[in-house]
Amino acid sequence: MIVLKRLSVWVSLAGLLFTAWILIAAKKQEPMPTPIEPPPTSPYESTVAASGIIEAENENVRIAPPAAGLITKVFVKVGDQVALEAPLLQLDDRELRAQLAVRQAAIPPAQARIEEQKHRVEDLQVQYKRLQAVHDRRAVSEDDVKRTWYAMEANKRVLVRNDADLIQAVAQRDETKILLERLTVRSPRAGTILQVNVRAGEYATPGASETLILLGETQRLQIRADVDEVNAPLVKAGNPGVAYLKGSTAQAIPLTFARIEPYIVPKKSLTGDNTERVDTRVLQIIYHFTRPPFPVYAGQQVDVFIKRDRATNTPGKAAP
Amino acid sequence: MSYVALKMLFGDRAKYLMLLCGLTFCVMLIVQQGSIFWGLMIWSQSGISNLNAPIWVTDPNISQVAEVKPIASTTVERVRSVPGVEWAVPLYRGVGRARLANGEYHQITLMGLDASTLIGRPGHMQEGRIEDLRTPDAVVVDQWAVERMGGPEAIKVGTIFEINDKKARVVGIAHVQKDFQNIPSVYATFERATTYAPPERRLLSYVLAKARDNEPVEAVTRRIAEQTGLGAFTQEEFGWKTILWVLKNTGIGINFGTTILLGFIVGMAIAGQTFYLFTVENLKQFGALKAMGASTFALARMIILQAFTVGLIGFGVGIGLATLFGTLAASRGQLPFSETWPLLWLVFGSLLAICIFSATISIIKLAKLEPAIVFR
Repeated sequence: MIVLKRLSVWVSLAGLLFTAWILIAAKKQEPMPTPIEPPPTSPYESTVAASGIIEAENENVRIAPPAAGLITKVFVKVGDQVALEAPLLQLDDRELRAQLAVRQAAIPPAQARIEEQKHRVEDLQVQYKRLQAVHDRRAVSEDDVKRTWYAMEANKRVLVRNDADLIQAVAQRDETKILLERLTVRSPRAGTILQVNVRAGEYATPGASETLILLGETQRLQIRADVDEVNAPLVKAGNPGVAYLKGSTAQAIPLTFARIEPYIVPKKSLTGDNTERVDTRVLQIIYHFTRPPFPVYAGQQVDVFIKRDRATNTPGKAAP
Repeated sequence: MSYVALKMLFGDRAKYLMLLCGLTFCVMLIVQQGSIFWGLMIWSQSGISNLNAPIWVTDPNISQVAEVKPIASTTVERVRSVPGVEWAVPLYRGVGRARLANGEYHQITLMGLDASTLIGRPGHMQEGRIEDLRTPDAVVVDQWAVERMGGPEAIKVGTIFEINDKKARVVGIAHVQKDFQNIPSVYATFERATTYAPPERRLLSYVLAKARDNEPVEAVTRRIAEQTGLGAFTQEEFGWKTILWVLKNTGIGINFGTTILLGFIVGMAIAGQTFYLFTVENLKQFGALKAMGASTFALARMIILQAFTVGLIGFGVGIGLATLFGTLAASRGQLPFSETWPLLWLVFGSLLAICIFSATISIIKLAKLEPAIVFR
């Protein structure tokens, strides 16, 4: 064959083969790298997804002082379980204690005055009786009898007033006692101390922006799930759900429906900016769950999937 | 007859080489320019292919990947609620400025990946581990950042720089496809990227999603678009959208198109002219054949055989040279060069057109040929 004798033919053939080889060897689009953690996926056929946060079942209590004052003692530390009425804080009570001493001291004189008055009344009563017991009316003057009677009656009234004085002194002492009692801040309910932001020696003012002590119930937690208002019609009350902690999709937390918050609220997007503007409003649904074997904490974020009945009703198209 | 035709072709070595060179040059030019063009197009959609996620959800009016239109943060949950979606994760993409320790500023593309799954992460790491993105202040840069921002001395694992006055610590160097605009990418977790980002009302750029295995991607993508009112695209669709945007809004398409057309015209002119000269020079021989009783049809077959033989040889040499150039020049990823089978078929078709054109001119000449020419 004449064709095979030409060098150019072989060069051409080599070019073809080289190109084919390069093109076949060229790497194709690689498959997607596997996710580091499996992403959260819904276990249900059709679902309404939500972002959620774990919180204490009872809302947290921000303990406040009854009055402005110096803090002399903090009875609890973070993590303590406290019972109802357990003391939490002691405000400076020296002033009131001094007052209490004064007021306490005011009681015995009042009592003494009563005793004194009683004797005076008794004395006058005896005098009066004696004057009346005289048979001969001329032996005593009418004036003396009258005078004694008036003195006796007046002193009886003084006795009544002294009794009232005693009651007042006791009440004043009790007032101070109660005010003193008030300076010991006590737990309004049983719970766990979540935060302590105050130390002995600091000055507490009512209405301060920072909570002195945060009291909550972490034994029983719940999940608050945020559903975009566009998807709100898809949520059916009573349907179960599952939640995954961020970054641990292997373990699902089964959820039981508790309630739907009846008021739609703006979604909190914590950008830390002081000119926050409302972007989306969300429907909040509360779910109960039993504590899983792995640790969960109040304040942790979760991905929530809520079971949805057959996806017949599609949400309305909203502006993106 | 075929033997005579080939003998005629190869016999005149100078003319044959001239013809071969013309065709080779033409093929090489088209393949090389076409490959560079396609390579550029692939770079233009590297923002999509580097992340390698099956479904992209964003504003319906999006025109290309680098043009970010932020969407509401609850979109992730809305996409997850669409039946047939296996997973959906957020992605931040934005432009930032990195300030190096020596005071230099560099523009960067900031990517925020979902922290727990890191979906959208680069497929290959040159150094470091991508999981370290979860450590405080950690970012991963690509190899182009190393090149653009001062070389391996200035940017290495452990380097600290600033993005928007906030600290960023390099924990790894990724190996990715170069970007069209040659802006280096910096990868961080979504939450960290939003702290680097300038304050904006909306910080979610894209939602990356995947369809369940038993559902076709296209159907799920359509469903996401219908049920959420957002723009949902498969990776391929979004890539094409970006390519079409680049073609429409830059001169690249026209530029390369003109070069390729010129290559085609020049090739056709050289080949046609040389082949015609070749035929004219051999007119005596063709005349003799005709006088001996060969029909015009038989002569035409000879011409076509000659044209196609030289054409095929030129094709082989041409693509071989173009491929050699491409593999040598683009081996380090510095030059966009992407040769594909469709391009080769296209070039093959053009070459056949050139051959047919050249052969036709010669055949017309031969058809008018008088056998008596032999005796003049």
